[in-house]
Amino acid sequence: MTVATADPAITRWRQALVDRPAIVLAGVLAVLYIVTGLVAPGLFSANGVRSTLLLACPLAILAASQTLCMLTGGIDLSTVMTANFAAYVAANQSGQGPLVALALAAAVGLAVGTVNGIGVGVFKVNPLIMTLGMASVLLGVVTVGLVGDGFLSGSTRLLEVVTTVASGTLIGPIPNNVIVWAVVAGALIFGLSRTGLGRMIYAVGDNPIACRLAGVRIWQVLLAVYVASALLAALGGLLFSGISGSVGPDQTNAYLLPSVAAAVIGGTSILGGVGGYTGTILGALILTVLNRLLLTLDTTEAFRQILYGLIVLALAWVYVRVTGQRGA
Amino acid sequence: MSTAPQATVTTPLPEPSSRAARFRRRQGWLAGVALLLAALVFWRSSQIPVFGLFEIRGIVAGTMTLALLAMAQTIIVISGGIDLSVGAMMVLVNCIAARFMLEQDLGPVVLVAVLCVAVAMVLSGLIGAVTVASGVPDIVVTLAASFVLSGLALIVLDGPGGGTHLRFQELVVGGFDQPLPAILWLTAVIALVWLPFKRSRHGIALYAVGSDRAAAFLSGVRVGRTRVVAYVMAGFYSGLAGVVTTAFTGSGEPRASIGATATLTSVAAVVLGGVNLMGGSGTLLGPVLAAFCLSLIPALMLGLGWDPNYAEVARGVIVIVVVMVGGLVQIPRRSR
Repeated sequence: MTVATADPAITRWRQALVDRPAIVLAGVLAVLYIVTGLVAPGLFSANGVRSTLLLACPLAILAASQTLCMLTGGIDLSTVMTANFAAYVAANQSGQGPLVALALAAAVGLAVGTVNGIGVGVFKVNPLIMTLGMASVLLGVVTVGLVGDGFLSGSTRLLEVVTTVASGTLIGPIPNNVIVWAVVAGALIFGLSRTGLGRMIYAVGDNPIACRLAGVRIWQVLLAVYVASALLAALGGLLFSGISGSVGPDQTNAYLLPSVAAAVIGGTSILGGVGGYTGTILGALILTVLNRLLLTLDTTEAFRQILYGLIVLALAWVYVRVTGQRGA
Repeated sequence: MSTAPQATVTTPLPEPSSRAARFRRRQGWLAGVALLLAALVFWRSSQIPVFGLFEIRGIVAGTMTLALLAMAQTIIVISGGIDLSVGAMMVLVNCIAARFMLEQDLGPVVLVAVLCVAVAMVLSGLIGAVTVASGVPDIVVTLAASFVLSGLALIVLDGPGGGTHLRFQELVVGGFDQPLPAILWLTAVIALVWLPFKRSRHGIALYAVGSDRAAAFLSGVRVGRTRVVAYVMAGFYSGLAGVVTTAFTGSGEPRASIGATATLTSVAAVVLGGVNLMGGSGTLLGPVLAAFCLSLIPALMLGLGWDPNYAEVARGVIVIVVVMVGGLVQIPRRSR
């Protein structure tokens, strides 16, 4: 590599960036925000800030579930289907009162997470396959539930509490859902760095064999991670339904790549053991602003999709290059 | 005082494993999938009054796309990776083929088909080259690539449309009750493309890289080039899948969800086909047979009077259970 021949100042600078990737990400976010603001001046207003935060929140919550799984060396491809299913159940059962409806949505997350966690933790199923299979099962269950007189047929009405929390405004440019986001972020950042379980999550992702020899009950850690992941997915689905004002069996599917990408751009290694939620927050914000930029460009949906894919790839590439964190 | 006879310890020579044991170890899974397929076909044939050429043609032609995608996925999995863009590649090729085959004579239509496969090989090779050059995990690269490819598909064809030549359709997937072309094509792409490739330097390097990348590198295998070659081969098969889709449906459909579902099913077929997800082992035949099993499920459910949407649930459960059983077999070995 060229690093060896570079002068020491650059090497030191580079090392600082490797140690604190959040600085790079914040810089990328700032540049991107200014560029987008120049194209679409509305972004600099209070309303522009509000809409950015509002839209980044569900993505950041779904990316949180991805971050947790990726830290253990896994991935959760059933996140978006869990989100769809939970939001649909909550809206479908809203007639029974908000508490029951929300409990049912949480139960969906709990059930999905438990099955995923048992599969990955106890039966050692490859996480990719386990969650892919789970996504397939959920898709089938939702589709069957919707036809004729299935268990999901009948009218859907969003819970008032979901709408208020997801799309209301707290003060000035701060939407209500930022409170939920802040609680999740606080719990994750604190939990991952300061609690035993959090450190174990990193350890399992870093070296599962060493963990087993050290007496860590890996299956319990994985079970906890996948349950938390699915619960976060359910939460993200509810927030998304509150923003969009509707529920649908596939409404968050477009968030699958962004949720993985936000974690990857944020510096969490898909191989496990490296990363954290701070980077993911910035990754989610970057992707949201990027989406806004692409929307303001007067192009077709097809072209936007191509650009989005290319830019996500480029960001991941640059990140890997800068930090020297090479994948498999 | 008599001396006790000295105890003699003889170490028995290791018995050469019997032919049956070797077969069970090497081809056991394949035989199991073949039996499962036979059972499913028998079940299906008992559900309907006449099980003739028409039915067989329907099953073979309808599964061809998935079988080809499963082959593409298998090659990447053998090389130690995973490709989440094979479905999107199929959709893109389907759109290109349908657009340029519309109202053409047979000659140009065949030419378009060949060019389409070439385009898929180039694009897939490019994806592989980016994966190797960037060091970004292949899941991320191929997931991003699937976005790019479905965007390209929308540019080529902004909605369902396009067409192809009737004679071309008959040549590829067979006529009304003619299963032979589809069977011959599937046999040909395994026997004439995969088997020679597997025996070539590149094929052996593919297995070596998938089995242990570092060891392969130290033995002088060009790891990067081998991985790119794997993606080019996968592009060949997913491109063919796109051409076959065009021939089967007679049109192009740029919907991205088709590609996503197809990718998931291709991974399912690979797992059910007994290919180790860690890479380095497996054949194409297992996933192809598994693809037939998976695509028979909806028809069977319809025959039972169930909602065929349960097929999605069944596929997911089958894949998970198959991998769980595989994991259970391995647990005692691991904790030793």
